Amino acid sequence: MNIVQLRKLSYDEVCRCNRCGFCLPSCPVYAVEQRESASPRGRNAITRAVIEGRVGWSRDIERSIFSCLGCGACTAACFPSVGTRDVVMGDRACLAGEGLQPETADRLARSIGKSHNISEEDNEERGDWREILRDVPDDAFEKDAAEVVYFVGCVASFFPMAQKIPVSMSRIMERAGVDFTILAGEERCCGYPLIGAGVPEHVEAHRAHNLRKVQEVGAKAVVFTCPSCYHSWKASYDAEVELLSAPEFLERLIQEKRLPLKELRATVTYHDPCDLGRQSGVFEPPRNVLQAIPGLRLKELPNNRQMSVCCGGGGNVEMVNPELSGRVAQMKIEEIRSTGADMVVSSCQQCLRTMLTRARREKVPLVAKDLTELVMEALEGETS
Amino acid sequence: MDRKPWIEQIEEIVGPDHILTSDMDRILYGYDASLAKGKADAVVLPGDTDEVSRVMALAHRERIPVIARGSGTNLSGGTVPARGGVVIHLSRMNRILEIDLPNRTATVEPGVITLDLQNRLLRDGFVYAPDPASQKVSTLGGNLGENSGGPHCLKYGVTTNHVLGAEVVLSDGTVMWTGGKTHDSAGYDLTGLLVGSEGTLGVVTCMILRILRAPEAVKTMLAVYDSIEDAGNTVSAVIAEGIVPATLEMMDRVVMQAVEASVQAGYPLDAAAVLIIELDGMVDGMERQAQKIQAICRRHHVREIRTARDDAERAKLWAGRKGAFGAITRLKPSYMVGDGTVPRTRLPGVLKRVLETGEKYGLLIGNVFHAGDGNLHPLILFDERVEGELERVKAASSEILKICAEAGGTISGEHGIGLEKLEEMHFVFSEGDLAVMRQVKKAFDPKGLLNPGKVVP
Repeated sequence: MNIVQLRKLSYDEVCRCNRCGFCLPSCPVYAVEQRESASPRGRNAITRAVIEGRVGWSRDIERSIFSCLGCGACTAACFPSVGTRDVVMGDRACLAGEGLQPETADRLARSIGKSHNISEEDNEERGDWREILRDVPDDAFEKDAAEVVYFVGCVASFFPMAQKIPVSMSRIMERAGVDFTILAGEERCCGYPLIGAGVPEHVEAHRAHNLRKVQEVGAKAVVFTCPSCYHSWKASYDAEVELLSAPEFLERLIQEKRLPLKELRATVTYHDPCDLGRQSGVFEPPRNVLQAIPGLRLKELPNNRQMSVCCGGGGNVEMVNPELSGRVAQMKIEEIRSTGADMVVSSCQQCLRTMLTRARREKVPLVAKDLTELVMEALEGETS
Repeated sequence: MDRKPWIEQIEEIVGPDHILTSDMDRILYGYDASLAKGKADAVVLPGDTDEVSRVMALAHRERIPVIARGSGTNLSGGTVPARGGVVIHLSRMNRILEIDLPNRTATVEPGVITLDLQNRLLRDGFVYAPDPASQKVSTLGGNLGENSGGPHCLKYGVTTNHVLGAEVVLSDGTVMWTGGKTHDSAGYDLTGLLVGSEGTLGVVTCMILRILRAPEAVKTMLAVYDSIEDAGNTVSAVIAEGIVPATLEMMDRVVMQAVEASVQAGYPLDAAAVLIIELDGMVDGMERQAQKIQAICRRHHVREIRTARDDAERAKLWAGRKGAFGAITRLKPSYMVGDGTVPRTRLPGVLKRVLETGEKYGLLIGNVFHAGDGNLHPLILFDERVEGELERVKAASSEILKICAEAGGTISGEHGIGLEKLEEMHFVFSEGDLAVMRQVKKAFDPKGLLNPGKVVP
């Protein structure tokens, strides 16, 4: 992208920012950095200054623009609803056009282009999480035709810490008698991290491939445990099948009485992932699922739903600036601990990974589980 | 930019992480929530009073302008570095140092967010009364500098009525205290002089604030009118009856439309104006007072009176009011806000002339304001990117302030003078008056380095 395109995309939007500053307290990055360049108002002002030719792209600007978590909390707090997140993504595309993107973002884009996933691993290993399920064949859950495609996503496929999620989800669906398949080595990155890396033009090839695969299977629905894949599909895939996040799908299975949940005695709090809650509007289904588990008590975080605070894992910041990501995670952990709950439940592998990594580093006791894990425990009647 | 030699010296004082000199940062500390713009030479984020003092002593030696700021939410250009210099961003000095309930004081650093103090005090059943609409982001230091008001200032007074003492760094770096924990202090009332001086006399690094018991009960009503005049007359009549509600806020249709598109506060979009009337105090007698007010409203043809049933409903009514300035850019990308104050009895007449001024200049004006104080906030809507519009808006805005001054009022109720209302100071002060103010400025800041170009023309 160049400045002319950026002007077309973002100029009117940033001019609606009247610098009132109401976004500042809602921005987790501003909360830890305490300086204007780390604020949504500042990022809008930078964009405007660049478009108006008052300042040129620079490494300082790159740092500001690539420190945005893309969590959207600023827009939720903004009275004229300035879409700073999209503004930032436009800036990133422009910075990449100038060759000014951070090294890590560039490496990520090249890696996804080559291996079709974010981990640089061979994409054929996408289904290796099934090895955790010792009693199933290597090609378990792979079918030529199925009603539902379970889109696992890169993080849950390749990162050991998150592989519990597809393990739980596939077992839950099996229990409920869902006719589903995974795409295994034929699943490709949804493209979302490419937007964050400043190369949205690279998304199309991935999108076309994934859509074709779902079509070949003849599925009526695609189910996601990753909120970012889900949001990405919803926002830009133009799919003709039903798209459901895991909490929505689990809620439906519970309503259809296909999941006999046993008692779990625990007090949990729920963290709304940004891409599921604010970006996709899925707030109540995960809560309804939690409340369907007998014996479970839900204690809300002080900042919940629209006001949920990002875990620190959004916007590729974890890769570009891990130190900053960790400090935001610390803030989140402190909020969670203030509830006195036994554990935090979320519906996002990235949130869990970010929070648990920080907790381990800081030696803070934190129990964090994905909603699918908890539902699996309730099906088995384990006490947590 | 040429790296100025004094930058290294500041680096030695605050550490390299706490001075910003990039072109980007200099632009980012060049604005506030007004239309004014400037460019800093450097931005410093000091960690304590000693660092502020050393930076200011250096600036004094090197003759560098110094502009102190908090969150930069101010509305008249008060924190815009009009002549370059060093911007001191006090965000790191954000500790609540002491809450002294028996003596009813809170001692805070200037970077504390207004609402953070409020939430902390509420835990003990206390409040800090001034409540600017931007309280969730504004800082207490900024409130002091601008002498901020807010809806509840009708009953409780503006910031100056709640600051008991302050630690201040003078232009040469000297640190001194004014006032203290007692409600009266000997000698000149320098605390009173500092409040509202917009950082032109010194930089406050610690402040002692008066805190009050939280009211036992609160009752919030929304009175809906089909004409602005009826709403205005209600305001005068309520005050004339001798009733002082905690708030008496007015909003017109233009503003309600922008607000409702942002948050669903439940304002009626077909009404001409609404009043938010809040009572607070003891439970005993509150209902009787509410009935008295409702009777006055009915005498002035109120269409409907709604009462908030719980805290959630009350919060919703206020959320709309507090976000009104921000919401207005849903209608047009830029706005200029006026801050004229008039005697309450003149409110309906002045309001009419404000709207006529808008028509004369072909500009849309929305009104949201502290009606009980007679403190108008006409929001003139436009697009600053359109050539010539800003000049037209400035002319209209100035004319409105003239109307306020002529009606026996003044040009600023709470937003300060900053850069935007500098010329209009002549509407309310004679040359002789201004000469005295210049002497005061000179006594504190002989070299003219503290927030130069502000407040006094």
